[in-house]
Amino acid sequence: MKNSNVMTHVATACAVVMVVVFVTLVYESRALSYLSSDPKVCITCHTMNTHYATWQHSAHREQASCVDCHLPRDSFVKKMLAKSLDGYNHSVAMTFGTYGKNLRVTPNAAARIQNNCISCHAEAVSQMHENSEHYAKFDDKVSMGRRCWDCHRMVPHGLPKSLLSTPDNLGVKEF
Amino acid sequence: MNKSMIVIVVSVVATVLMMLLLGTIWNNKADQAMINVVPNIKKLEPRSAEWGKYYPRQYDSYMATKESDKIDDVLEKDPNLVVLWAGYAFSKDYNAPRGHFYMLEDNINTLRTANPVDDKTGPMPTACWTCKSPDVPRLMEERGELAFFTGKWSSLGAEIVNPVGCADCHDNETMQLSMKRDYLARALDAEGNEPFDKATHQDMRTLVCAQCHVEYYFKKTDWKDADGEEKTAMVVTLPWDNGLSVEAIEQYYDERKFSDWTHQLSKTPMLKAQHPGYETFKTGIHGQNNLACADCHMPYVREGGVKYSDHKVGSPMDNIRNTCLNCHGETEEEFKQIVKRKLERKDELAAAATDTIAKAHFEAAKAWELGANEEEMTPALMDIRHAQWRWDFAVASHGGFFHAPEETLRILATAIDKGYAARLKLRVILAKYGAPGFEGPAFSNKAEAQELIGLQMDKLVDEKITFLNTLRKEWIQKASHSGKNIYDPVTEVKTFKTSYSENK
Repeated sequence: MKNSNVMTHVATACAVVMVVVFVTLVYESRALSYLSSDPKVCITCHTMNTHYATWQHSAHREQASCVDCHLPRDSFVKKMLAKSLDGYNHSVAMTFGTYGKNLRVTPNAAARIQNNCISCHAEAVSQMHENSEHYAKFDDKVSMGRRCWDCHRMVPHGLPKSLLSTPDNLGVKEF
Repeated sequence: MNKSMIVIVVSVVATVLMMLLLGTIWNNKADQAMINVVPNIKKLEPRSAEWGKYYPRQYDSYMATKESDKIDDVLEKDPNLVVLWAGYAFSKDYNAPRGHFYMLEDNINTLRTANPVDDKTGPMPTACWTCKSPDVPRLMEERGELAFFTGKWSSLGAEIVNPVGCADCHDNETMQLSMKRDYLARALDAEGNEPFDKATHQDMRTLVCAQCHVEYYFKKTDWKDADGEEKTAMVVTLPWDNGLSVEAIEQYYDERKFSDWTHQLSKTPMLKAQHPGYETFKTGIHGQNNLACADCHMPYVREGGVKYSDHKVGSPMDNIRNTCLNCHGETEEEFKQIVKRKLERKDELAAAATDTIAKAHFEAAKAWELGANEEEMTPALMDIRHAQWRWDFAVASHGGFFHAPEETLRILATAIDKGYAARLKLRVILAKYGAPGFEGPAFSNKAEAQELIGLQMDKLVDEKITFLNTLRKEWIQKASHSGKNIYDPVTEVKTFKTSYSENK
């Protein structure tokens, strides 16, 4: 009886500590901010500084934020699923330091981005879209079979997009 | 195993895992802090080379503003301006701006700042330095804003020795953009559409430029120093209380019965527009689409694997592929043609305006000469005041023809309209006094126009050269030996270029 009382107290204490650590974790990782669509959220970690800075200096700045291109826009569920998938991958890479200086999109993300290119520039690519079935496929995962940015290489981040490419980008330090 | 045991095991395992994760997050945050560390540069360090040690690309490109070194004599291009500014120093010497590197040099060399012989002489107040140098915020910090704005231009010659540079726009502790001149924040708050504390990073990429590229006047302000001594400061003030448009600012000056000078010929209480670049840009299509000055005048450029903001501030037309073509699809050649045509349209209307207004000044002078009284003259003079103010506002806004072509042409149209309204009224007065067919004297170049208004240019130039060979040299001597570490010989301009020459 007495023993189990002690155990209950220890268990409660452990649970309380766990909750405190959890709250700290949520706070320190700014976990809730990731629900927002603000581009600044994408530079909570320093890893995306170059991508933010190059986008901030590009023509897409006024029209499309990070999530407008990188996440699906046709349904909320798909958007959240993609966000969770990317978020998980990013967390693992950040935590274990498994990323290099040059980030590349996953095939899954490439397909989403391509769909977003097409949905905004639908009129411009409509004929290309129809013709595309007659041409060789370079990438089966993306719509039309070839990534837009294979040719439009500067859009919107420019060629040098290594983590070391934009050492002095000021907007990034706005926090 | 009871429930408590399960809770303990789960809690401990979860806590340990979460602690490990927290550890990596803190590690990454430490990395981020390292990345954001800025070098140790003294607050308001005026010598740009000191900043340049850590930001060589930005500094080198800033120094490349040296390449823009051509003197473009605006009075020679349109001698009517000499008449328009008769009685005001702009009639002596007025050039198109050169690169940022030359700001201080040109301010010191112009005949407008004349020939002080010590720290209490000369026509200009200290306020004339306000936009020229990072030594200005340094002095404002050291002495206080009102103390800075008190006294003669010549009193600060040995203190203001660096052309506009790093410290004018950057904070030394964060390297973020920051404004160093409080009058801009005061004006933004007074105007109300964009209070200063709401400014985003994108806004700041324009506002740091608006510290200088705006319309301003020197507001007489009485104050007492620490010893209780009465002093009068001439404080740079932006007339934005009623809004940013040419009419709103005109109304601001009219309400205060402010004038920069009384015209030598027509006796009109005149206004001199400065360079309302910000006000004009905001009305244009690029301004309305949230572009910043830096987007086109300081494009992101690539050097090897590194990208940075080009600090060679100048015409975006020199670098069309890194500026216009970021957003637009035309070719470089098409752009050149489009912009050339825009400039021609502005020049055409501006020439019509100066021609009309110059004639109005002569006609008003004749009317006074024939005995017209103030009551008769006032309506015509107000038209002249407003016509010239509007023409000046349109042309003094560097690049206004491009930043806001519709607004610039509209303003020029109202200038011409008001100019003719003045001349119509003057014609009635001239007819009444028996000179219905009067025509002002003819002149075909700057020298003739200056002679016509009685400027003794040879004397002015001689006096200026004497000043440059004496007091100016003393300033540099004093600055380099003051022990304050403010003078950098690299800022010395090697080739003397002005609109006037010594060999007389």
